[in-house]
Amino acid sequence: MVSFAEVINRALTGPYYSEKDYNLKLFVPKLRETVKKYEIKYDPENVIPLDDDLAERVFKAGVELYSNVGTYCVDSHRVIQFTEAEIKEALATAPSAPIFGEGKDTKALVARKPESNIPPWCFLGACGVAVSNEEIFESIIRGYGGIPFADSITTPSLATLDGTQVRAGSPIEILACIKAVTLTRDGLRKAGRPGLPIMNSIATAVSDQAKIAGSQFGLRPSDGWLIGSMAELKVDYERLNEIAYVTSLGGHVVAETSPILGGYCGGPEGVAVTSVAYHIQSILVFRGSCQDSFPIHIRTSCNTDKETMWAISVSNQAISSNSHFPLLTIVILSSGPETEMEFYETAAQIITDVVSGGSIESPGGAKNACIDHISPMTPQWASEVAYAVTGMKRDEANEVVNRLLSKYENNLDNPPEGKKYQECYNIKTLEPSREYVALYKKAKKELTGYGLKFKY
Amino acid sequence: MKKEKIFEDLFRAIVGLDEEKGKEAANELVKEKLDPLEGVEKGLSRGMKVMGERFEKLEIYLPELIMAGDVFNSVMEILEPEILARGKSIEKKGTVVLGTAKGDIHEIGKDIVAMLLKVAGFEVYNLGKDVPDSTFLEEAEKVKADIIGISSLLTTTMLGQKELIDILRERGTRDKYIVMIGGGPTSQNWADEIGADGYGKTAEDAVSVALELISRKGN
Repeated sequence: MVSFAEVINRALTGPYYSEKDYNLKLFVPKLRETVKKYEIKYDPENVIPLDDDLAERVFKAGVELYSNVGTYCVDSHRVIQFTEAEIKEALATAPSAPIFGEGKDTKALVARKPESNIPPWCFLGACGVAVSNEEIFESIIRGYGGIPFADSITTPSLATLDGTQVRAGSPIEILACIKAVTLTRDGLRKAGRPGLPIMNSIATAVSDQAKIAGSQFGLRPSDGWLIGSMAELKVDYERLNEIAYVTSLGGHVVAETSPILGGYCGGPEGVAVTSVAYHIQSILVFRGSCQDSFPIHIRTSCNTDKETMWAISVSNQAISSNSHFPLLTIVILSSGPETEMEFYETAAQIITDVVSGGSIESPGGAKNACIDHISPMTPQWASEVAYAVTGMKRDEANEVVNRLLSKYENNLDNPPEGKKYQECYNIKTLEPSREYVALYKKAKKELTGYGLKFKY
Repeated sequence: MKKEKIFEDLFRAIVGLDEEKGKEAANELVKEKLDPLEGVEKGLSRGMKVMGERFEKLEIYLPELIMAGDVFNSVMEILEPEILARGKSIEKKGTVVLGTAKGDIHEIGKDIVAMLLKVAGFEVYNLGKDVPDSTFLEEAEKVKADIIGISSLLTTTMLGQKELIDILRERGTRDKYIVMIGGGPTSQNWADEIGADGYGKTAEDAVSVALELISRKGN
């Protein structure tokens, strides 16, 4: 595979473009050309399409797109380009079963296929949503550590440290990152799972230096360093600095990618193809151990709407059928904790991801935008649904997802924010409110009626 | 009839993203000695309004919105000297300086706000992402801004919005500008808490709030 040193070299010497020209004169026209050439067409009737040929075409289109547009470095204004031969070599030699965690919680993250009988990797927790203080942070980590199907943890970010608000780029960011790591390790130890991997490194970190400094206080090479691409297909020096550090450490990069529906990708077809291009970028530029993808809708700021879920299903099928490099999908809900809609949205997205060949990063609630609007119930429900649909056929799943969509899609523009963690849980005993438990039981009963086979 | 056709061609140039057609129509307008301001209003601005509405319904996507803005700017290079030569000027709603807070590299949402503000008739100076407070202040001073808009997508960068307002207060220039905020984790409550004048939940919201605040300032 092309070395990371060569990637850096290309970031410094590749073809020069202004950012606007890269967006509008290279990325957008090439994307539209490939979507047209490969006849990729959105089908609103089938959120989970049963069309293997479509998945094949989307994969080929994504490879062709990436060989044409590469990755844009916003600091050098140069394009990191790869030939189709280099891309094929990268796909053939990418990691296939990276091992995360320690002790009893050591486990290989294995790539899946559509309709696979292998349970998805359950990367569960907060999706980086901010919590207001250290007490809530530690409590919710204990809650996540108690979820039976958890394979790894996604931590919240810490909004304050000792009562002072955390400001990105200031020294307090570094101190808050250190605190976030120590709180997470403590919380997981108290939950009885000290070896459980933290897979989104330090959500509190915005800058490269804070993430690297914070990691010295308890992150392990067997954890995952979440490093995000910029939309679309862009990277900056800070992200490359993080990659340089993690690869030198022998650690795992979890390559986060987020094509925007309605943005430069255009509609669902463009998002599907760009997701495949991001898959290759995750291997070659981000030196990832897996891709963690969250396509998102520009208007609803979530990915549980029909168009985005179609794009996710098609790209998951395309990627998982053609690549052994593991793929996870991040669920971003529009609704928040202790709402009926939260259960429906979570289930719809999880079914789409899992049946289409992906693993899961569990839901961020209320568009990931409201402080403390997360709970252990949401990822627990997500993992139960994920196991309940492992092995389900795509046509059956499509019917279930359509039923679920009909229950919430009209509310996506004005979703209920739900409650804060401390309002729907006892943060000392980790017990959910009676109302929350009732909603969970109701949803479980209803989805059992739809054909889901829950493990317990 | 010729006049109506030229205005229609200007409109079509915007919605059809056809820069050459727009320039041809603008040159024709100049040749026929028609009122360039009327051409802007009945052709270009009408076209931008339609594109804004289409984007709101996602009938078009961000690239089309940006390209329409580019066609508008390109055609204005022909019409603007004519407007000035007649001793007139384009009526603008106000001047906005906007960017993403220091430390924050998210900017697509802010770019959409910038485009929609232009569509609504504001003169917009888009400072980009990861913008230091000092740059906001210098640019606002330089272009005599009415509004400073500061966006943030992270809880750890939204403090930048407060910092900017605090600096304006300390310098005794808070009343000189309308300060608007937006971005994922922000809210009306946060705007109230830090003393911002306006908050836009969505890009369309931000435009409505800007129009409302600027009209109040005018009164």
